[in-house]
Amino acid sequence: MNHRHLLPNEIDLLVDGEAGFGVAPLRAHILECRDCEARLSDARVVVDALERLPHLAPDSRLADRVMAQVPVFVPAHVAARDTVTRWMPRSAAARVAAIVAGTSAAASLTLAMLWLAMRGDAVVFMGGVVSDRLSAGFASGVREVTLALLGPSALAAIGATGALGASLLVVGFALTAVCTVLGLRRLTLAGRRA
Amino acid sequence: MLRTLDLANLPDADVVALALEGRDAAHRELIARYERPVFSLVFRMVRDRELAEDLTQDTFVKVLSHLDRYNADFKFSSWLFKIANNVAIDHLRRRQLDTVSMDGSPHAMTADAVEASRFDVADDAESALDEMEARELGSVIERAIATLRPEYRSCIMLRHVEGRSYEEIATTLDLPLGTVKTYIHRARHELRRALEHTRE
Repeated sequence: MNHRHLLPNEIDLLVDGEAGFGVAPLRAHILECRDCEARLSDARVVVDALERLPHLAPDSRLADRVMAQVPVFVPAHVAARDTVTRWMPRSAAARVAAIVAGTSAAASLTLAMLWLAMRGDAVVFMGGVVSDRLSAGFASGVREVTLALLGPSALAAIGATGALGASLLVVGFALTAVCTVLGLRRLTLAGRRA
Repeated sequence: MLRTLDLANLPDADVVALALEGRDAAHRELIARYERPVFSLVFRMVRDRELAEDLTQDTFVKVLSHLDRYNADFKFSSWLFKIANNVAIDHLRRRQLDTVSMDGSPHAMTADAVEASRFDVADDAESALDEMEARELGSVIERAIATLRPEYRSCIMLRHVEGRSYEEIATTLDLPLGTVKTYIHRARHELRRALEHTRE
């Protein structure tokens, strides 16, 4: 029998459940020495009591209070990925179809842009023709409407005064319309009060 | 789209990665996982419920606001406990407290305030008697823990309440391994003496 009592750190090894081969003689000693067995038992009481200590619960609103102070920042690449993911169909077949359709559309647009770039003169010429046609059509429409509403003499007067006459006519029309609306509104309110 | 169920099954490192992508649910998952261990550690360090609530909140705000500084080579919980311990120790350095109550804050001025500051003990006691005995023993050991030096307290809590290894505790608290072993040995010795005194 080994008559040397266990050292405090050797008791700790046993309490911690260490499994090294050096622990075997310590265990054997415990079986033979009542003093050391009692010391080990006392040490285990403390450890058992500690290990039974419960976790304590904080206030249930802790998470909300924390999150109110934590700036949550979504990086640009994550936001972009999320957007793509949101638009992407769920099923594999639909996803393949979407990718094919998207690639085709992108390729077509690219080709169209290339074609237009190669024919810059033709695009400028076509743009000019379309713009002239549109402005001529608009001026003709305005003249027809003025003729129908105010007659040929008014049209001649506007033609004589030019842009100033046309502007005065438009402002006068707008003022008359606004005054009419306001007057009607006031009449309606007065009728309700009565 | 993230679902809570998905998050609950992910390891800490993955949840942290999602939190770094700005996912609110991932932040909340990290809080849900560790609010009780962190609060328990902090409370047993400062021994005041309201103060522990505030320090726990500070800990999580610091951690979640600086997640980009987390080194994934280490366990997330070790980093979290390190910050919680630092927050508590910093507070203790500024203010010395020496009483403990499981039944309400010592600073509560009214019966309502005492009731409001009582603990919800997260315990699996099988019966009312078990619960009472556990509470009684818990109270004794809680009082004994309160008498320990703060460094001993954090070591012993991490070892026996959180089940951390000596090496993890050394990493978490930035202490040499030998110092951790010494602190835990001395803490056990002091607790044993305190419990013996109670039994007498």
